[in-house]
Amino acid sequence: MGEPETHVRRRRQSSVFVDAVHDFGEDVGPAPGQLYSTDSGRLFHAGHICIVLVGLPARGKTHLAVGLCRYLRWLGVKTHAFHLGDYRRAEIPNDDIPADYFLPNASSETVMIRQRIMSNCRNDVAAYLLEQGGQVAIFDAVNPTAAGRKALKTWFEEKDVQVIFIESVCTDQALIEENVREVKILSPDYQGWDEKKAIEDYLNRIHSRIPQFETIGESEVTSNYIKLINYGQRLVLNGLHMGYMANRILLYLMNVQRRFGSVFFARAGKAEGGEIRYKIDCNLSEEGREYAKKLCLSLEAHREKEHQDEKAAAGTDLPKRGLVVWTSTRSRMIQTAAGFADKGYPVRERAQLAQMHPGICDGMAYEEVTKQYPKEVEKFIKDPYNFRYPRAESYHDVAVRMEPVILELERTSREDLLIIAHKSVLRVLYGYLMACSATDIPFLEFPRNRIVEIKASAYNNQVSYIDIENVDPDLGD
Amino acid sequence: MPVYSVSNVEDLRICVVMVGLPARGKSLIATKIVRYLSWLSIKAKCFNVGTYRRLQTIHPSASFFEPDNTEGEKLRREAAVLATKDMIRWFEEENGVVGILDATNSTVERRNWILQICREEGLEPMFVESWCDDDEIIMHNIIEVKTRSPDYEGQDPEQSVRDFRERIRNYEKVYQTLDDESLTYCKIINVGAQVIINRIQTYMESRIVYFLTNLHIRPRAIWLSRHGESMFNLSGQIGGDSDLSPRGRMYAEQLPELVRQSVGDAPLTVWTSTLKRTQQTASKLPYPKLAWKALDELDSGVCDGMTYEEIEEQYPEDFKARDDNKYEYRYPGGESYRDLVIRLEPIIMQLERQENILIVTHQAVLRCIYAYFMNVSQDQSPWMEVPLHTLIKLTPRAYGTEVTRIKANIPAVSTFRQKGSSAKHDATPQTTAELHLSL
Repeated sequence: MGEPETHVRRRRQSSVFVDAVHDFGEDVGPAPGQLYSTDSGRLFHAGHICIVLVGLPARGKTHLAVGLCRYLRWLGVKTHAFHLGDYRRAEIPNDDIPADYFLPNASSETVMIRQRIMSNCRNDVAAYLLEQGGQVAIFDAVNPTAAGRKALKTWFEEKDVQVIFIESVCTDQALIEENVREVKILSPDYQGWDEKKAIEDYLNRIHSRIPQFETIGESEVTSNYIKLINYGQRLVLNGLHMGYMANRILLYLMNVQRRFGSVFFARAGKAEGGEIRYKIDCNLSEEGREYAKKLCLSLEAHREKEHQDEKAAAGTDLPKRGLVVWTSTRSRMIQTAAGFADKGYPVRERAQLAQMHPGICDGMAYEEVTKQYPKEVEKFIKDPYNFRYPRAESYHDVAVRMEPVILELERTSREDLLIIAHKSVLRVLYGYLMACSATDIPFLEFPRNRIVEIKASAYNNQVSYIDIENVDPDLGD
Repeated sequence: MPVYSVSNVEDLRICVVMVGLPARGKSLIATKIVRYLSWLSIKAKCFNVGTYRRLQTIHPSASFFEPDNTEGEKLRREAAVLATKDMIRWFEEENGVVGILDATNSTVERRNWILQICREEGLEPMFVESWCDDDEIIMHNIIEVKTRSPDYEGQDPEQSVRDFRERIRNYEKVYQTLDDESLTYCKIINVGAQVIINRIQTYMESRIVYFLTNLHIRPRAIWLSRHGESMFNLSGQIGGDSDLSPRGRMYAEQLPELVRQSVGDAPLTVWTSTLKRTQQTASKLPYPKLAWKALDELDSGVCDGMTYEEIEEQYPEDFKARDDNKYEYRYPGGESYRDLVIRLEPIIMQLERQENILIVTHQAVLRCIYAYFMNVSQDQSPWMEVPLHTLIKLTPRAYGTEVTRIKANIPAVSTFRQKGSSAKHDATPQTTAELHLSL
């Protein structure tokens, strides 16, 4: 079924092509995956929570903060990540940090700067939670000492904010180096350096700067903690009788990985007979089969080019990333993936990726629906994300049933992932990865002649497009 | 929560292997996992090795469990083989998704044997260990659970405790805790004081761990009540947000005393929905209260405010469709029982972690919560009768949940509609005769 071409709505942000995970966002009603709403705007009857991250640089803290923020917002929990580094850079131009900045016996001048930065960030967190309606704040900093952590905990608890510590520990040297390579040495400081030397230099700098990093101990006052070891390979939870929210966070932590591969979105080819009915499982038309071939060729060419570029950038021979394809269980989806299966890539059919159920509108053109169900169409236009046509699913229903897919998507780490699905499903998944609001999701477009690529970096996700030549853009089903 | 779709995860079969000394709450954990997954429509079953062993040795003495009792060891091993075989058959024949092997599995050798079987059968092994050195918790478990176990039926309780402690000591001689970092496992130390989670491989496993970390095994009870009779109940309308009827207000007046008789002086928190009739019902209760949107009645969409007769008249097809599959049926613009279960998932999780709670809510919501605790199947749960003006007490125990019903002596209409009927709400006071499915 089609949608209205034009409509009145409020757009939360300037563009849906930019990852909105860092926006504060105005209130535009429930978040995409939100199960219910409350008058206070807080969910699960949890109070205010400050998640304090702990860990040396290059342990993936920023990535963790951003990822958690994305997931909790999706659930409707008002969340924001505060990166102490942002406050430091604002205070110290050019990030020209005094040498004793991380040392316990720093000069009084340095201590003053340090305290000012900490207090700026801390006050913003408190204001967000206590005045601006935030429910969870993520405090992203090294927080290297037990004493500092204790002070932070006391400060927040006096304001009736619950504190949960999450320490990211890496015992795997290769993981740390990978992190440094991905995030740190792209900075201007290391332009023109040999990669190995740059990594070594960076790690040495950390160790000389922060010689006294104390891992969270069991007897520490901060004994409500989660230790995330080697990015979720192992998790240690201590004293966590903490409520539903903390457990949702744990569920996320059990699934999240550092993602190196891309996520690609593509539509299925056109079905036989042109008309698509939900109840009928159509095969691909001739044109659809042509499209499937072109999709496969274009994506493979693109991946090959990316591989060559990455090799050139790294200056060494890197193995090419694998590819996994997910489709719904519909024939035309599976047939669209046939080229990839022929090449030996695993193609997984997943029932959760089934398109939004159209209910009574199945097989009807939009004009027909307006004629037969004018009242329903009116309601749909008012709230396209939450409205269900009789017997149908809403976008919200699709989003809620998508949670396993989202968490499994977070699990895919080393490989590229191609998702071939109906546009209703692509809208919701794109909405999650790019932190779109529920008002934007129903109107996202996925023309057939374009593959969407979403790449993850520590700070945000980025979108780009791969054109498939000689394919009709066709925005319909 | 969208978990129902997990049951469709193709080819995923997980074998949860319990690990732990006796009296560490393993069976309780195992049965809870089964109940939770079944509630979410994921096929799960527990295979308790002790049950198989009891087929051979009815009342074994502690010496049966000594490591060097070769006869005992042989019989215990045979029981394990039988349980495992049954589990594999269940995976094959009934398309099981999560099978639980409930036994001590206390040695690396035994666990390697299970790993081998999992590899051969294409099962994902996941170990769940309950580790405890808190003597108080252990003694509590022994007295609460073990002396009531079939092994000690009809025997002197004190003698039973002594014998059981002896049995535990025999296991302790050979017990090896989980520490193989290459395995997928979840180790719960002293009832959740610390939890170690290692190498979670799939979303489903993370989901099981997520449930486990919400559990606590301290004794407590949950009280359930519908709101008092409402004006809509009297007129036979469904949904809406009406006030209590005079008889409903009488129930609200009497509820504090009814609760006090059952709860005593123990601390209690009251949860209500955000609708007037539950809040009015709870208004006289002298306990902290919390209103949950998630506890609101099933949304009947376009039928909100209609009587069953009107629905049958105006939406005959819907009326029939609902009878055919009440669990899946979704009112136009409203919710199905399945939708309701998804919405209630945070409530269930929160309930698993709470102390004493009284929930004042609505018929369909109570059906779902009751179905969770009593393991009622989805074709039955939407048809259970939940009478008005009745307080229900649920006491979770290791071998199932105990139910007590306390009736307030205040008449009310019956809002129960049997399959295939659109009979008006019964205006006569309800009799105590209970239908097969009533609570």
